[in-house]
Amino acid sequence: MIRKNVLNVLSVASLLFVLVACGESTDVVESGTYEGTIKKVEAEKSEIYVETTDDQTLELYFIDETELTKGGETVDFSVLEKGQKVEVKVEKVGKRLDPLTVKILE
Amino acid sequence: MNEIPEFLRTEVWHPLSVHFPIALLLIATLFKCFAIFSKAKTWQNTGSFLLYLGTIGAWVSIFTGDMADGIVSRELCDPTVLKDHENAAWMVVWLFSAASLIDILRISKIVSLKSKFIRAVAVLLMLVGSGFLMYTGHLGAKLVYQQGAGVYQPTEDCGEFNE
Repeated sequence: MIRKNVLNVLSVASLLFVLVACGESTDVVESGTYEGTIKKVEAEKSEIYVETTDDQTLELYFIDETELTKGGETVDFSVLEKGQKVEVKVEKVGKRLDPLTVKILE
Repeated sequence: MNEIPEFLRTEVWHPLSVHFPIALLLIATLFKCFAIFSKAKTWQNTGSFLLYLGTIGAWVSIFTGDMADGIVSRELCDPTVLKDHENAAWMVVWLFSAASLIDILRISKIVSLKSKFIRAVAVLLMLVGSGFLMYTGHLGAKLVYQQGAGVYQPTEDCGEFNE
């Protein structure tokens, strides 16, 4: 009986561990230009998550200065979709990443 | 001259709503702990009531927090604290939602598991949830008091308050 209860408690603890591990994490990188794939688009917040080629996740909130282009032309935020390849130029302010340009590559 | 911003702006709904679940869920956990050692049903019943109310409040806080996130993120110097705050808050709602569900199943006798054991599991979830709740609150306080998240900064001469 005690063994069964211990097993049950351990199951709950494992579930908790899985839940903790499920939290979304993002990375802070130096100012520069990065290539990657859009992992998630949050249109209502004008926000995108970009997974770079070196497996870092950048959380980018568009600012007034952000230039979004495709094939050299300015396009609307609504064009952005999960899975698109992009090149982003970011400026690191504190630990915040301000996207200066976002180029849709395909 | 700057104008004093409207008080009930989008990012203010979060601090207005978040303190209810903090108080309700922590006290609910305390009551459920007392209930383990007491035969009086008051601890158990009041604990359940506070747990349900607090869990609903926690979901409301997730919603208002998401609203605030879109606004304050662009002004923070370290948004990674906000991300940790958000992740910890999701842990809180899932843990207390699970505890609420177990509690409802126990009361409604839908599950036939031994009551004492299932009560202990619910309390364990609530204790872990309380830990995450305090951590979430700590990060929330860091966002406000270290980075001024959602806080209006008056001008140096306070001119906007003269009218």
